[in-house]
Amino acid sequence: MATRDDVIESFGHVSRTTGTVFRYLLLAATLFGIVALTVLLIYVANDAIRPLTADPGWHLAFFLTLVLPTLAVSGYLFRTDPASFRFGAGVVGALAVSTMFAGGAAMIFVDIVSPVVWFGYVIALCLALAGVVVIERFDRQLPFLARFVGAGAVIVGSVLVVPGLIQSLPVYPTDGIMLTLSLGAPVAVVVGRYAAADAGRRGQALAVLAGVAGVGAGGVLGPLLAIGAVPATVLLAVAVVPTAGFAVGTVRRTPARRTGLLLTAVVLGGTLVGAAAVDALGFAGPQSWVDWQFLTSAHSGNAVDAGLYPAIGGSILLMVTVAALSFPLGVGAAVYLEEYAPDNRFTRFIDVNISNLAGVPSVVYGLLGLGVFVTYLGQPTGTVLIGGATLALLILPIVIISAREALRSVPDSMREASYGMGATRWQTIKNVVLPRAFPGILTGTILALGRAIGETAPLIMIGAPNVLFSLPTALSSKVSAMPLQVYAWASLFASEPFYQAAVPAGVVVLLIVLLSMNSVAIVLRNKYQSDSK
Amino acid sequence: MTDNSEQEYVAGEPTDDPTTDDMRAQTDVSTSVSSSGSAVHANTVVRAENVDVWYNDEQALKDITLDIPENQVTAMIGPSGCGKSTFLRCVNRMNDLIDAARVEGDLYLRGKNVYDDDVDPVALRRRVGMVFQSPNPFPKSIYDNVAYGLKIQNKEGDYDAIVEESLKRAALWDEVKDRLDESGLELSGGQQQRLCIARAIAPDPEVLLMDEPASALDPVATSQIEDLISELAEEYTVVIVTHNMQQAARISNKTAVFLTGGELVEFDDTEKIFENPESQRVEDYITGKFG
Amino acid sequence: MSTDDIQRDLTRRTENSPQELLTRSFFFLCAVLSIVTTVSIILMLTTEAAKFFTVTAPLMGVDGPTASVVDFLTGTEWVINNEQFGVLPLVSATLAITVGSAVVALPLGVATAIYLSEYASQRAQRVLKPALEVLAGVPTVVYGFFAVVYITPALRTIIPGLGTFNMLSASIVVGIMIIPMVASISEDAMSAVPDSLRQAGYGMGATKFDVSVGIVVPASLSGIFSSFILALSRAIGETMAVTVAAGTQANLINPLNPASYLEGALPMTAAMVTLLTGDVTGGGIAYRSLFAIGLTLFVITLVMNVISDVVAQRYREEY
Repeated sequence: MATRDDVIESFGHVSRTTGTVFRYLLLAATLFGIVALTVLLIYVANDAIRPLTADPGWHLAFFLTLVLPTLAVSGYLFRTDPASFRFGAGVVGALAVSTMFAGGAAMIFVDIVSPVVWFGYVIALCLALAGVVVIERFDRQLPFLARFVGAGAVIVGSVLVVPGLIQSLPVYPTDGIMLTLSLGAPVAVVVGRYAAADAGRRGQALAVLAGVAGVGAGGVLGPLLAIGAVPATVLLAVAVVPTAGFAVGTVRRTPARRTGLLLTAVVLGGTLVGAAAVDALGFAGPQSWVDWQFLTSAHSGNAVDAGLYPAIGGSILLMVTVAALSFPLGVGAAVYLEEYAPDNRFTRFIDVNISNLAGVPSVVYGLLGLGVFVTYLGQPTGTVLIGGATLALLILPIVIISAREALRSVPDSMREASYGMGATRWQTIKNVVLPRAFPGILTGTILALGRAIGETAPLIMIGAPNVLFSLPTALSSKVSAMPLQVYAWASLFASEPFYQAAVPAGVVVLLIVLLSMNSVAIVLRNKYQSDSK
Repeated sequence: MTDNSEQEYVAGEPTDDPTTDDMRAQTDVSTSVSSSGSAVHANTVVRAENVDVWYNDEQALKDITLDIPENQVTAMIGPSGCGKSTFLRCVNRMNDLIDAARVEGDLYLRGKNVYDDDVDPVALRRRVGMVFQSPNPFPKSIYDNVAYGLKIQNKEGDYDAIVEESLKRAALWDEVKDRLDESGLELSGGQQQRLCIARAIAPDPEVLLMDEPASALDPVATSQIEDLISELAEEYTVVIVTHNMQQAARISNKTAVFLTGGELVEFDDTEKIFENPESQRVEDYITGKFG
Repeated sequence: MSTDDIQRDLTRRTENSPQELLTRSFFFLCAVLSIVTTVSIILMLTTEAAKFFTVTAPLMGVDGPTASVVDFLTGTEWVINNEQFGVLPLVSATLAITVGSAVVALPLGVATAIYLSEYASQRAQRVLKPALEVLAGVPTVVYGFFAVVYITPALRTIIPGLGTFNMLSASIVVGIMIIPMVASISEDAMSAVPDSLRQAGYGMGATKFDVSVGIVVPASLSGIFSSFILALSRAIGETMAVTVAAGTQANLINPLNPASYLEGALPMTAAMVTLLTGDVTGGGIAYRSLFAIGLTLFVITLVMNVISDVVAQRYREEY
């Protein structure tokens, strides 16, 4: 073809301007949504918390006691020992998120489920489990069906009879002690075993006892600090003891990371010292709309007094119901589709069906709830049960799809190893596949629940009340939810005061809950992915 | 194949013959040239001098020095993992795309060191053609596949004519001339590889690098490719990596033997390597004592 | 072991033991639940909508005010109290939201996907991907609130004639909301393009721009289109953001006329919500119109999801 040079002076240069411009355009496009959302979040946080209304002295005090030391320690740790930095930040984050969940749990035990009832059910379950273990010891003498029916009878009988028995006792322990035993003990068992995993049985037993004692201290500290025994105990059981156990356990596993605790200490200490300082020096904090009063009062026609308490309680109850319904059903369907289903047209039909259901608008699910549960089955409108069932149907396809992904990520070689040893399908699933896929399934479920917390339209469709003055206490109580309450304020009660005070505050609370759930899911997923590499 | 006066060339040893006047002006001899940097008879298109390549801390190529002559087929053989493909990818700086790769030494394409600071790798690759182990035609039409190189270089000329010429040289024209609009993925494996060859030669490269081009093909397609390569050498300089010794013996003029550790143990005319190699290790490899 | 023992052990039917059957049936029922859900949705929507339309109401044993199918599908007025049930204003508003959000989300989403798949480093990806997930996780009510309280006033400085409730702000937030969907599905499609194609491109001296735009994007077009359709289907079904931000006036608008975005309108989903939060008692014709709209909506989103699947399957390159 062309003539060839004998010597090449230069290969020439290819212009990269188009490429560079393109790259920056792409980056701008990628950041557009993120930046827009960040700006909006800052605006709404400003409107709700109003940091600029605080005394300059307040800002200065916290700047000196909290912000500056934290930045200094963070910068130092980030450069020298990033793993420790992540650990320290993780402990702070875990404490913050778990305190939030502890608040929710405290709400449940203070106003919805009294400690006696909870105590009763926990005892009932423990007795039932003991009964099932005993029955299983006879697995050679009794056929499977008899054992299954027997175990079922034990569980049902125990749950029906024991709580009532306990509540009818003339004397029972104080709220604090009951909660310590029924909430603190299970938590302490899990946490203690993690924290002292390397210390042998004695060490673990000691750790569990320490955990229980720690929770039990709530019964004493609560009244002292004027919080109340129940909230204090719950706070210790859900937030303090697990975080402490996580910190201790990680430090024992990787001692090099303990410098990260410096960051935790600085943050915690700085907050406490700063709070004490502004108290002593009389500086006023920001006149935030998101305050204790907002979180603990019910709706009011007066925007300043309106609060989110019943809506928060409603959201919690709804989430419990949704999780209880969608988790087993969703994981069950995923297990069938991934492990049992033959590759025929019926299975593909179910596949297509599920992906279509994932795309159905949430209003239509609301109509489903309205048409089937309310009209056809004659259930009362707007209850926890109906709302929970409708939302569970809504997120079921999402749970199924993400559980399938998690199951699919379990390598086939593990299944084959199990089958090769003569294990049955259920044995393989129970012992090999599910444990390995569990973190992924959990992450997917948390993300799906996050979606459900933010849904409003289905609840409107099934007749959830726009305003609720009292906390829902049973499956049949009328229920509201945080996004629904915010919507009601923004549309039915739309007025300047509400848009200034209640709506931004509600939005901020809702966003904090959601971002916490999302970050828990993301942290779980990162840990799961790095563990399985 | 052009006829050359025989000259022994064993890496690392000084040669006795002085530089002849036949040698066309080539590189400015850099100060790091080894003592064997003389006696080249045909034009040298690619010259490597003391090329070392590391992947992180592992050395993949050790002190490679060789000259690749124009309009001939130079084969690189050796067991897997001895750096043959790595060397190939040094010529058009495809190793730049791998973060862990580090290249030292000098590599000249027609006198210009491709690793000079002022060399734009993209511009370099437009002068070098590459054919990969597994056929990888773009999911575009056959015509667009072949014309791709012309299009991105904004070359002038009659694209239709160039595409036809390239497909003829790749021995594919007769089979596809009526369906140039069809997707390249519709072709069989052997046809796809010939399409990739047509695509690589359409922009008229200085040298055509082929990395085990027939290893993913069935025997019939393989022999078609081999015939093709011999023809291609009339127009282009071909460097082919192959782990198939018989293939190298069949189609190449010169053969370079890479053995364990990324060493170039011997580089000579193909007949010499296969009938009477200097190095015992090469003899052992050729006769199948290891490999 | 004796022969009898081995005989018994080897012929024991474990696959059909009660335990296996029980677990298998449980899982099967869970999977079947999804079909039950779909069937219920279809049944419920069609029966209730049948009560709404004049032509089918007698079949359902309903006598009371009904609407004709033709009036429903072609009427241009939606005034409940006046018993005018023309769905066109609602459809036009839904179309407007779809078009408006497409303008925002489709280009930005594809650009994001290209950046993530071809240009971004691992570290950048680890930060950007969760950030995009957060974008998708914000509740839609909050997006509606953002539109009304922050975006509309900001836009008003450039466009003085903007109404308090307008389709423009609503489209923008819905667009932002669906960017992650377009980005993640498109990025999956682009990552699935085999690296050997990129190597071929680079080997020929193509720049990164050539490879990304000329090789990767065309090779993943089916996945990109599929993401478009799915995201738009989501925009069609979006409820709360538009309810809060676009108002409650059912105006018939022209989705292709930019000026019509300056006013508010009532998409189908918002119409359903306002039907229930307004002064509407159950059982009447207004209640039944709910299901008629719901049926229309369900059919539209179902068709779009099916098309998206077909596009992804049919035009996916088999590498």
